[in-house]
Amino acid sequence: MRPPRALAALLVTTAALAGCAEDSASVAAADYPSEDVRLLVPYTAGGPTDIAARAVGAHLEGELGRPVVVENLPGASGATAYVEMISAEPDGHTLSMTALPTAVLNYLSNDVGYTREDLAPVGVVTQVPSGIVVPADSPYQDVESLFEAARQDPQAITVGTPGATNTHAAETRRITQLYDIPLTVVPFEGNSEVQTALLGGNVAAGFANLSQDLLPAIEAGGLRVLAVGTEERLDYVDAPTLVEAGYPELVQSTTTFGVIAPAGTPEEVVATLEDALRSAGEDEAVVEALDPRYVPEEFLGSADLADLFAETEETFRGVVGD
Amino acid sequence: MTVGISDGIAQGFAVALDPTNLLYVFAGVLIGTVIGVLPGLGPTATIALLLPLTYTIEPATAVILLAGIYYGSMYGGTITSVLLRLPGEAASVVTTFDGYQMAKQGRAGPALGIAAIGSFVGGILSVLGLMLLAPPLADLAVSFGPPEYVALTALGILLVTYLGSGTPLKSLSMAALGLLLATMGQDPITGTTRFTFGSIALFDGLDFVAVAMGLFGVGEILHSLERTDKVQAVTRRITHIWPSRQDIRDSSGAIARGSVLGFVIGVLPGGGGVISSLASYALEKRRAKDPSRFGRGAIEGVAGPETANNASSTSAFIPLLTLGIPANVVLALIFGALLVQGVTPGPQLISEEPEIFWGVIASMVVGNVMLLVLNIPLVGVFVQLLRVRAGILAAFALLVTMAGVFSISNDSFDMWVVLVFGVIGWLMKKTGFEPGPLVLAFVLGEIMETAFRQSMLLSGGSLDIFVTRPLSGGLLAVMAAVVVISVVLARRRRAAFRQVDPDEEAGPDPEPAPGHEARRTAADVDTDVPSAPGDR
Repeated sequence: MRPPRALAALLVTTAALAGCAEDSASVAAADYPSEDVRLLVPYTAGGPTDIAARAVGAHLEGELGRPVVVENLPGASGATAYVEMISAEPDGHTLSMTALPTAVLNYLSNDVGYTREDLAPVGVVTQVPSGIVVPADSPYQDVESLFEAARQDPQAITVGTPGATNTHAAETRRITQLYDIPLTVVPFEGNSEVQTALLGGNVAAGFANLSQDLLPAIEAGGLRVLAVGTEERLDYVDAPTLVEAGYPELVQSTTTFGVIAPAGTPEEVVATLEDALRSAGEDEAVVEALDPRYVPEEFLGSADLADLFAETEETFRGVVGD
Repeated sequence: MTVGISDGIAQGFAVALDPTNLLYVFAGVLIGTVIGVLPGLGPTATIALLLPLTYTIEPATAVILLAGIYYGSMYGGTITSVLLRLPGEAASVVTTFDGYQMAKQGRAGPALGIAAIGSFVGGILSVLGLMLLAPPLADLAVSFGPPEYVALTALGILLVTYLGSGTPLKSLSMAALGLLLATMGQDPITGTTRFTFGSIALFDGLDFVAVAMGLFGVGEILHSLERTDKVQAVTRRITHIWPSRQDIRDSSGAIARGSVLGFVIGVLPGGGGVISSLASYALEKRRAKDPSRFGRGAIEGVAGPETANNASSTSAFIPLLTLGIPANVVLALIFGALLVQGVTPGPQLISEEPEIFWGVIASMVVGNVMLLVLNIPLVGVFVQLLRVRAGILAAFALLVTMAGVFSISNDSFDMWVVLVFGVIGWLMKKTGFEPGPLVLAFVLGEIMETAFRQSMLLSGGSLDIFVTRPLSGGLLAVMAAVVVISVVLARRRRAAFRQVDPDEEAGPDPEPAPGHEARRTAADVDTDVPSAPGDR
């Protein structure tokens, strides 16, 4: 693909010669996209990130006027895809989906060869909130009684989380650290295992994503949500926030899915992508595919996602690696 | 919570009779029959090789296809056992004892006919059992917590090493190796990395599908390339497929007992085709008024085992679909296929993915009918498959494997894993080590480690949790019983072995002594890979 691009750049440069002297980066940027765009997905095909990527990819294709190829590179909690993206030319033709805070927690706790500095955030696609759930027949009616039981007996409250390195395990440990509430984190593989453990009475509570796979059990009455981990209440879950319950710090459990590019991608290219992503949130078909419950009301762009990266890193730096 | 069984069955047939799924059932049972006929490719190798092709199709359809291959191979394996005394796959080894003798007496047709009928009856009865038993079992399984999973997986590893082995020491060491390999990658509880040697490719450990494809698929291909002897094409015509009234009367009891026995053994971890057919043969021989007929063309000796192996290949789905625990290696591969599809088999499967559960079950009914229809008239055609050159088959299979494994996560690293494990699998075969215990321990080891550590978190570090909970305590008691029984049996077997006249064993007409029989065929158990023609 290199020769045609060089040729294109040459033509553009020739055309622009009469005017000001443009540097090659902005020429490339003005020309963007000059080839197919790869959108890497750090998870397997068919999963929620993949479905989001395909909806966003189809939209970007229309906006950018170039094919967007969704490519699954699962593994290593996303590191496989991020390493592949970082090693590509930072020209906006190789992008990746990302999931926060997993992406941050991964490089904080493991030597994966990159940090936040190597990534250029483009924008947020969806945000999936989390909540503390208990089985319907649990004796705990609110989060306070659950935490009180833990204070009484440090062994009593086990909390199932859908993974060892994701936001829920880290956030549960923060509850223990910040508020001195002894909770035992029991990591499972994914939401469905947490749900099974809850229904089987094997853990007292669960801290999990309130994603499409968990909501039916909540609506059917098998599980109760004691509190949600967002700043504001959710209109589709009848439960107070942890903030309302008196834990103002516990707002870091939301999983954010976004798009990133390699660091060094020209600002103009990031801006183009950001605009394309913003319009995705206004396209009803895309929103429907993403699930309207999870699309942020107000678009969060490059700067917001960058802030989120920094904030997540700040929050969890002290929690992991102990 | 769960749909009623009759609703489920109705939904299942709606799925199974969908034209696409009908096509896949047909493809599955046809492929199964073909590889059952071809020596050198068992269901394990075939499913391992075809696994990546299923990633792009619907999960239910994928399992329908793979299940079809599995039970289809149970039918196909019979044909060569009877006609050539060459088991097309390991579960048909016992069929060679009497089936080939029947063929020599000119009764190949009835032998194949009764095998097909028995397989059909066993398959259908087993599907009925699956329909009735799986939903209540899944309800019970919801209360299975980490301690129960520890007990179950430990039991599974124990049984697979004990039941499916030539020498217990060799399979035990393979199981240990499997457990060790399972510890590679991110720690399931703390998320830190182990044995990754700084490589991101090893972050998630070795890919199970790549390991299985290497050990079973490529290992078998390499092994088959060493063989030079060619199978004689069969030209003899087979007549009178339909068994006589007398044949049916003789075998009806064997078929009934084989169905029950196969069903029960299939559910056990480590059970499966080979063990159930062996057990059925032993049972029929013990029950017979004149046991000396066995090995000389007794039709019960064909009907019972063939029924049992098909029944067990169906009931083996019960622990997978209700507990998320694969009972044998083939089911472990299907487990892998579902995981790749984003479906985690477990207690929630019936209520959350009813179309997979009931669809697969209903497809088994359809598939068994297809097999019956296919097998009776087409026996002669399938036998001609033996003319395909092994070299062509091997090259094609290798190509599919490498392309397939790359497609799992678009990672060339996995291709190296396949090749390395292919060589390991080949070396293991040459040295008499079985890949079965290794692969099953590799799968179960991951479940066991996570569940063990979860149990420790739940109990605050006390091991009491395993014995104080009734279910896990009970399972561990079963495990202790298995160990005790196996020690007792081994002692008895040694005693029996001493009484066997060595000449008789080496004779051209082996009628294996009870103890020795288990030993001899055990070399093939669970690998599901038959050895070279002439090995037996």
